[in-house]
Amino acid sequence: MITIGIKIMPRDVILDSQGRAIESSMKSNGFQVQSLRAGKYIEMTLPAASHDLAKAEVERMLHEGGLFNPLIEKYDIYFN
Amino acid sequence: MSLNVGIPRFLGTNCDEDVKRWIESKGFRATYLWYEDRFESKDFDWIVIPGGFSHGDYLRCGALAARTPVMKSVQEFASKGKPILGICNGFQILCEAQLLPGVLLQNKNLRFIDQWQTLTVQNADNPFSKMMTTQQHIRLPIAHGDGQYYADSETLQKINNNGQIWLTYDENPNGSALNIAGVTNEKKNVCALMPHPERAQFEWMGSSDGELFL
Amino acid sequence: MSSDLSQNLKIYRLSMEEYEKMKTLLGHEPNVIEWCLFSALWSEHCSYKSSKNHLRKFSFRNSNTPDMDGENAGVVDLGYGEKIAFKMESHNHPSFIEPVQGAATGVGGILRDIFTMGARPIMSANYLCFGDIEAPRMKHLMKGVVKGISSYGNCVGVPTVTGQTNFHPLYNKNILVNALSVGYFGPEQRMALSNASGSGNLVVYVGAKTGRDGVHGASMASASFDDDSESKKPNVQIGDPFYEKLLIEACLEVLEKNLVVAMQDMGAAGLTSSSFEMSSKGQVGFILDLKKVPLRDSSMTPEDILLSESQERMLLICKPEKLSELQETFKKWSLDSAVLGEVQSDRKVKLMWGEEVLTNIDPDLIVEEAPRYDRPYQPWNSLQKTQALQAPEKINFQSLIEKAFKTSKLNRFQWIYNQYDQRVGARTATACESAVAHARLDHSGRGLALAVGCRTDLMVMDAQIGAFDAVYYPAFQMALKGSVALSITDCLNFGNPQKPEIMSQFVASVEAIASASVQLNAPVISGNVSFYNETLDENIPPTPAIGMVGMRDSVEDILPDYFQAPMEYIVRVKMDWLQSYTWLNSLEQKVSQFTENTHADIAGFIKQCQALDQKRQAELIPITSIKAIGLGGLAVTCLKMVQGNVGFDLSFDTSLIPESELFRDELYSFIVTTTDLDLTISFLKKHFKNFPVDIRKVGETVTEKIHISKKIILDFKTTKSQFEKGL
Repeated sequence: MITIGIKIMPRDVILDSQGRAIESSMKSNGFQVQSLRAGKYIEMTLPAASHDLAKAEVERMLHEGGLFNPLIEKYDIYFN
Repeated sequence: MSLNVGIPRFLGTNCDEDVKRWIESKGFRATYLWYEDRFESKDFDWIVIPGGFSHGDYLRCGALAARTPVMKSVQEFASKGKPILGICNGFQILCEAQLLPGVLLQNKNLRFIDQWQTLTVQNADNPFSKMMTTQQHIRLPIAHGDGQYYADSETLQKINNNGQIWLTYDENPNGSALNIAGVTNEKKNVCALMPHPERAQFEWMGSSDGELFL
Repeated sequence: MSSDLSQNLKIYRLSMEEYEKMKTLLGHEPNVIEWCLFSALWSEHCSYKSSKNHLRKFSFRNSNTPDMDGENAGVVDLGYGEKIAFKMESHNHPSFIEPVQGAATGVGGILRDIFTMGARPIMSANYLCFGDIEAPRMKHLMKGVVKGISSYGNCVGVPTVTGQTNFHPLYNKNILVNALSVGYFGPEQRMALSNASGSGNLVVYVGAKTGRDGVHGASMASASFDDDSESKKPNVQIGDPFYEKLLIEACLEVLEKNLVVAMQDMGAAGLTSSSFEMSSKGQVGFILDLKKVPLRDSSMTPEDILLSESQERMLLICKPEKLSELQETFKKWSLDSAVLGEVQSDRKVKLMWGEEVLTNIDPDLIVEEAPRYDRPYQPWNSLQKTQALQAPEKINFQSLIEKAFKTSKLNRFQWIYNQYDQRVGARTATACESAVAHARLDHSGRGLALAVGCRTDLMVMDAQIGAFDAVYYPAFQMALKGSVALSITDCLNFGNPQKPEIMSQFVASVEAIASASVQLNAPVISGNVSFYNETLDENIPPTPAIGMVGMRDSVEDILPDYFQAPMEYIVRVKMDWLQSYTWLNSLEQKVSQFTENTHADIAGFIKQCQALDQKRQAELIPITSIKAIGLGGLAVTCLKMVQGNVGFDLSFDTSLIPESELFRDELYSFIVTTTDLDLTISFLKKHFKNFPVDIRKVGETVTEKIHISKKIILDFKTTKSQFEKGL
């Protein structure tokens, strides 16, 4: 089993309304923060034989399985 | 009897006007409390936290609203044993502020649900149930995306035994544990529910059971 | 033609003639900024260049509708010091690309058109057209659009109370998402204007920071996004309903405090359209420094800034002495505000980039001098036959109904409207479960009615008939609830206007709507045109969506649309103007038959229907439900009224009628259910004694049975679950 993490964030040009609201709230409460963007993190295990095969399968999930929306999101893949 | 009711207003609160009209229709005095301001407990008899999408429901429902200056005053108000009613987003905020046990998760079907529900009054021994009797059935509308009540089994057992389960759904629409639609705190002064009593004032609205709450 | 010029014409979507006109007006070769400005403001969406000549046909006004030419939305005076503003708008193409955000920003955009006038939005509605449900991406599009409307509408706190969802394969490549909003002015409430005035007054930008939303180098036409390359992707506009809610509160507050001279939302073509339209309308000029625009992305160029379609932004004009209170109010609501410049009496808009002058141009050149085209069209050749209607034969009714469930033609769409908050505001009396929504007006307590119209099958059959119906049918549905139609807004969705057959549909529709609105004394006071709903030469059916508001004395005792109890009588009141078989026909066979009744007769009948409600209350006639007979006739209408454990039986009273007639469209007829047959029939006969109507019992409500005829019997439980099946 291979465990993979996928970080999905809004694309840089896209408005991140969630990040904006959280950033504003933190600043209001006096916390020191310069900028904040929010996304989601997905953790999954795959029955793949190698890191490369696991990555390939995750890429398929992302692009064919709709795991992310390429119009408004970008992703990074991590191995733990 | 005329009461002084404080209605906290957060950025994104939607049901403040509805609640104000509802409270005032009873002859009570309602005052908006801006989220950035503190207030004195002695100035109010009740606090009613209305529904809506405070801070857009971003991060977690009620999470950002729970950590505002007005809520510090609400905490004090609660500690004095004075009555607080939370409706929908108000329920979520009270949980995030740890004034009520449990948390409201996303509805089981992952969608917003707007529909009429029949509820059963499980315990009527709190300031907002004076006109209710236990096992009474009432009809109120729900309109929420995050109404699935969750608490760990230990907490659920505790609140059940302590008579803190206020209202339950006859037909569970969102996966709430023990069909919970509304709960109170241990002292039974802080009460909250997901359905909207202010949207059931008159028969033309679809039900007038909301009148039982004031 | 130089390759540069041909490149520019393509990028900025202007024709050669338009370029020549622009050059003449400017007196010089346009610079990049000027290309941008003309491109935006001379687009079909902003300039209405192909439709303006015909929209003049909506000039009818009455005492309730002050003439507000060119304003964002129409205003209706309701009496008792109350007014409403309402309008409908399309967001078709963006929804096809990114359905959630496309639909969400559509809702946001129309809300801004309403509160920019100072009205508090109190009701929203939508009109949706999807293709064949099995077509590629269609389910995904449907779910996305519904999600977009629901997530935006619910968060912003405006109830979504009615709508219509249509299906037709001709929408496969062009779905339609039209959003409507109604705003309320109470007594003493100030209306805001959008014409700038007062030399020395400040031009203030409020709301969200400007980003690259909607700015794109590549064409959005092709939707192939497998290529990861960032630069090829369109910059999808993201709507933030939380921000919009803040904007609504802040704008209404500054208007109430009288801090604002004029206000306009930044909608399509963002800063460009708002600044040029405000100055042109006010007959003043502006000096604006684009460097002062709050930016999300500091690398944006002046062109990016001018063309950005970032959401939730407004442009205001205020007197200098009111500025600090204005800015404090916006700050309280957590919103940015920035002074971009000031109003000047010299009638030019001077755009600066710091010290550099980008352009200094008379706004009228772009706004007033926008091209106007007289696109060729043919007068409409209507499908009017007076020979006897031939009923289609050898129909397998059972499989027809099964297919209707499968294609969502009979779906109740509860799965859609249960995702909409229909009751926020605590004004809602009837909502999506009914054909007509009603909300209680704050001050007078009267009921404001809202319905949408335009039935796809009729439009496909004949654009002119369909367009008449688009106005008559919602008015008829309102009348049955005791509400009188007051005013109309429209969203005219059509294909390519440069094709004469499309333009003919457009003109026929506009003229039909104008004529029907006069008959009903319900002026068309606002609207939107969406042309070029065409992909690879395939055009959508003509779709003039209508939004209609009406008035009812109160919100009490509004009859429901569903069967209430078994053992009640079903009585039909039939007034014929048109008969057709849209349900039983395939697309090839279009038949219709007109009766002798004129349009004045229809309007008179609708008026008489409207008087029914108060009479039945006063005379204690025990009518328990009322519903207009829709397409698919009596059979389909009764199917749609099934609720709880109550079904129906039409088999005895209609046993002498051929089965196909049970599915025949009969415009305009309605049914009621009642517990006292004789009393109700004599009451109805008396009420309609001056009208050529047929009134008779057609069936009864029955527990858990669906008998359309002796041979067409459906299983109750299966049918009910089919109604409720959703995506």
